[in-house]
Amino acid sequence: MTEQFGLLLLWGTIVGLDLASVGQIMIARPLVAGTVAGLILGDPLAGGTVGMVLELFALDVLPVGAAQYPDYGIGAVAAAATAAGSPGALGIGVAVSTGLIVAYVGELAIRVMRQANTTDVRLHGEELDAGRLRTVRSVHYRGLLRDLVRSLVVTLLGLGLAVVTYRWAPTTLSGALLMTLVLIGAGIGAASAGIIRVVERGAVIRWFGLGLVVGVLYVVVVQ
Amino acid sequence: MNPLTATWLRTLLVQASFNYDRMISVGAAWAIQPLLRGLPERRYREAMRRATQFFNAHPYLVGMAMSAVARTELAGEPGETVRRLRHALISPLGSVGDRLIWAGVMPAAVGIGLVVAALVSPVAGAVTFLVLYNVAHFTMRTWALRAGWHKGRQVAQALTGRGLKQGMRVAGPIGALAVGLAIPVAGGWLARGFSLHAKLGVAMVGLLAVAFAQWILPSFRGLRFGIVAALVALVIGWAFR
Repeated sequence: MTEQFGLLLLWGTIVGLDLASVGQIMIARPLVAGTVAGLILGDPLAGGTVGMVLELFALDVLPVGAAQYPDYGIGAVAAAATAAGSPGALGIGVAVSTGLIVAYVGELAIRVMRQANTTDVRLHGEELDAGRLRTVRSVHYRGLLRDLVRSLVVTLLGLGLAVVTYRWAPTTLSGALLMTLVLIGAGIGAASAGIIRVVERGAVIRWFGLGLVVGVLYVVVVQ
Repeated sequence: MNPLTATWLRTLLVQASFNYDRMISVGAAWAIQPLLRGLPERRYREAMRRATQFFNAHPYLVGMAMSAVARTELAGEPGETVRRLRHALISPLGSVGDRLIWAGVMPAAVGIGLVVAALVSPVAGAVTFLVLYNVAHFTMRTWALRAGWHKGRQVAQALTGRGLKQGMRVAGPIGALAVGLAIPVAGGWLARGFSLHAKLGVAMVGLLAVAFAQWILPSFRGLRFGIVAALVALVIGWAFR
């Protein structure tokens, strides 16, 4: 990972900015963030696999209004850095655990950043109320800068944690496999609970049920 | 640069200064500013004053409010009319965006992306997701800005249009269907190579996670459940090594 560290740091920072501040073109979705991190590391399958598991967790999130949500994008970058080069299913559980912890740290960092934005807005309340363009610009650019710093710091912490868990993962062989299975199950549960909460209404939930039945049939018949 | 293009570009960064007091109002004021440049000095200052007050909307639809408000300002409508229009758009723009994007387009694109990732490759899945999602995303952003600019004060007509209503009616079911399909397909692919017993274990953990999120402890869901489940697996792995 040492050679690609700079690229991963850059990618994680861009992903963190995409979450809310810049564009929201959804490169921050774990499926994308993890797969690209895997490509950077030369192991797109590992990156994509952990991205898929974290994507299931991310389906639990509805990013409305002032809602707090985990930063699964940077989490997926850290998870891909942990999983790359690991043999098959062995590394997935440990990597996804790393990704979940980083996503949680990202969530806390978002809270701190938004609080700092709020303090900034309060400090310049009078000038904002007066509609001063210079103040509008400076408050807005500082908000952007804060998110840049947040994304950079969380990515740095995530990659640090990835190095530690990759080298000294405190788990046994059976523990690593069990973690993989448990986290795939937890992801499936999170995605199901998330979509049930989002759709709520009777008619739409039936579509979810129909999709589940078709998907299960496909898995049973084909796999 | 064309003021409308400048505002469209600035709406891409509208949430950068999100805060708990005024939500996205600072970003929205920054985004609307190019459209207000044509106003006489005094009216411009008054318009900017109004622009910095509390405001929130779905980020993809914020352009509709910006362009409609700017059009109303440019038409020389009284300040109170502009303020009311701006305030009246907060709830509908949030509600439409949440239902159409977060509860429809997003799960639909993610679901399809996950299925493609499982059936073809994760790279193909990621590309499919990005293309599907962003076609809808940028269409929404552009339509919203144009609709607000053309309708001005009558922007509510755009929000009650037939196309948007139909879009909201089908987006939820498509999203739910896609995620329903993706969960077993992606889960089956992720657990490939494991025994049938292990796969049944995965399904049990999934059901447990749903039970926690829906009935047992609703605050203990997703991320938190995952971290605790991983810790439990770690401990069990140590105990039975």
